[in-house]
Amino acid sequence: MSDSIVEFDGVTKQFGDYRAVDNVSFEVKKGRIFGLLGPNGAGKTTSIRMLTCILKQDSGSIRLFGIHAGPETQARLGYLPEERGLYKKMKVGEQLVYLARLRGLSYQDAKQRIRYWLERFEAYGWIGQEVGELSKGMQQKIQFVATIAHDPDCLIFDEPFSGLDPINSEMLKEVILELRDAGKTILFATHRMEQVEQLCDDIALFNKGRLILNGDLNEIRASYGHNSIKLRFTGDSRFLSDLKYVRINNRSTNFAEIRLLDGADDQVILREAQKHVRIKGFELVQPSIQEIFIDSVSREVSS
Amino acid sequence: MIQKEKLLLIIKREYFTRLKSKIFIVSTILAPVVMILLLVLPAVIQTMSGDRVRQFHVYDETGAVGQGLVASDSVYYQITEISPDTLRESLMRGEIEGYLVIPHEILDGQGKTLFYHGGTAGMTVTSRIHSDVQRVVRDIRLDRLDTPAEVRQVLADRVQTEHLTISAEGEEAADTGFYMILGFIMGFIIYGAMFGYGAVIMRSVMEEKTSRIVEVIASSVRPFELLMGKVAGVALLGLTQFAIWAVAGAVLMAAAGPVLAYFTASGPETAQAAEAAAEAAAFSIPPISPMIWIGFVLFFLLGFLIYSALYAAVGSAVDQESDSQQLQLPIIMLIIVPIMFLFPVSDDPSSTLAVVLSMIPFFAPILMPVRMAVLQIPFWQLGATIVLMILTFVILIWMSARIYRTGILMYGKKASFRELWRWMRES
Repeated sequence: MSDSIVEFDGVTKQFGDYRAVDNVSFEVKKGRIFGLLGPNGAGKTTSIRMLTCILKQDSGSIRLFGIHAGPETQARLGYLPEERGLYKKMKVGEQLVYLARLRGLSYQDAKQRIRYWLERFEAYGWIGQEVGELSKGMQQKIQFVATIAHDPDCLIFDEPFSGLDPINSEMLKEVILELRDAGKTILFATHRMEQVEQLCDDIALFNKGRLILNGDLNEIRASYGHNSIKLRFTGDSRFLSDLKYVRINNRSTNFAEIRLLDGADDQVILREAQKHVRIKGFELVQPSIQEIFIDSVSREVSS
Repeated sequence: MIQKEKLLLIIKREYFTRLKSKIFIVSTILAPVVMILLLVLPAVIQTMSGDRVRQFHVYDETGAVGQGLVASDSVYYQITEISPDTLRESLMRGEIEGYLVIPHEILDGQGKTLFYHGGTAGMTVTSRIHSDVQRVVRDIRLDRLDTPAEVRQVLADRVQTEHLTISAEGEEAADTGFYMILGFIMGFIIYGAMFGYGAVIMRSVMEEKTSRIVEVIASSVRPFELLMGKVAGVALLGLTQFAIWAVAGAVLMAAAGPVLAYFTASGPETAQAAEAAAEAAAFSIPPISPMIWIGFVLFFLLGFLIYSALYAAVGSAVDQESDSQQLQLPIIMLIIVPIMFLFPVSDDPSSTLAVVLSMIPFFAPILMPVRMAVLQIPFWQLGATIVLMILTFVILIWMSARIYRTGILMYGKKASFRELWRWMRES
């Protein structure tokens, strides 16, 4: 178990009558990108807040780097909350140094690292400006630097791409992969499933406070087999609604993802489609995360 | 348990960012100016309104009292032969300001002088006329009786009483009422400081909450450490502000004498004026014992701690300052109550009422310095009050930290008292 960076074991957290996290157990291995997925209110943020010791679990144990979560583990974490925020009246440089020192860095180290990262994000010129004077996008970058400046072993990003423009998103993605390659462990919470497919090695699916699926993303998808069809076409798409034993995802005017349920035959669907539209592409693929999520939830409900 | 370096970092940040802020600089300069204005303005207004020349007509039946009055001030009093009925009409038309009717039997110790005026004459005018008439009539009557000079002297002499206080060490000092005023001033300064610094704490908590930075901070340090760092940082800020005022005040006092002497010395009546100025400069503030200063600072600090714990809880429960009114109300009441008792307490600082009120932790920050200024307070009272205040603070900060811990993560929601209670129990 030496390579487990994060271990949740039977963790439960309750707010009044509401069970935000219900008996959740999972492990995150060193050097992996781990996706915490699920709709809003599924328990992702509460789990993260317990991991960062902002909240305390009611029962169960949370271990980081092999020890119980506490002040020692806090210093080795980098946390980018979903609700971004910095001191508006404080200068960029002073603020970053302060936050890094709260995580236990010395003044000299903090200055050096912050300089490196600000230059990396082409933001060194703002070091003397008050954060409140910067644009939203710039503040996002500064916040990101604040998250990683103290060189944490484990990084937690809660919806890191929300509010970022495409260029900054790309840059962030690059840095996340670079950090992973440098041996950092990354936890990554999102309700946007499509982001996960590009980044995550492992996933944990949350729904209503419960963990409903957990494991290696590729293995999970392989276990579902090639049970989905990606169909590209031109013409009237109304026939899709009449298909039996299928679920339609990502439907648009000239594209549809068709999940085959029990009893469905891909050849039947192909023939049916030919009758109604011109087919540009027809491919049997593994299901999307979205599909896996829906599938897992419906199985949970029925069981 | 508390991580000292981190606490220190937080204290430093809270202290220095506020020290450099505009509001601190402005309030440091403006507060004493406002205070001095409040003290000086009434006097200035009084002298300004005293400019108007006033004149009263005197209808004198005795043929002597009127002359006496005019002799004392020929502008203020003017003898008239016009009948009281006509005077009355002139007064009603607003042509004259007022008139006196002095009956002849007044010199026999009977009858009374009538003073007519439009509206209310005002305290200054009525009391002046009363004493002028009294003096003139008395002198005339004494003249009539051929009273010897010695008797007049006896009547004119004032018997003096001097008020002295004796300290426990046996030192004597004139009791000028100065200490009572000192107590009032201290009470009001602490009163203002509780509101001012309480609001600083509240806004500081709210700022971290609304800017969402608190989640990043809370993932590095314990909320309790953040709260304590904040309270300590702002307390230091308060002490700094008082220190600046104290030093500035001392420098002003020291400089006032020589400066005054310099300016008056360059005038014509050199020697005499210089002497007068030196005297004015020394217009001796009685010595303020170090105990009073220590008490003032100590009770300010303890009071600040108690109220900052309360204000922090309120700040963590709301998102906007406008939402905080309802939750602030009980705190405001607690601060205002001792101000209502300021006068009775300083008038009789040893009464049971004064002792009990000044020992209640919420009222002590204001009332104890007020009492300390006017009398030596028994040691047991001071000790017990300090212990009570520390206990109150510990309990309140514990409760407040629990509310704080939950409150800082509750966005977009205005909590009620019931919710605060629940947060405190559950967290």
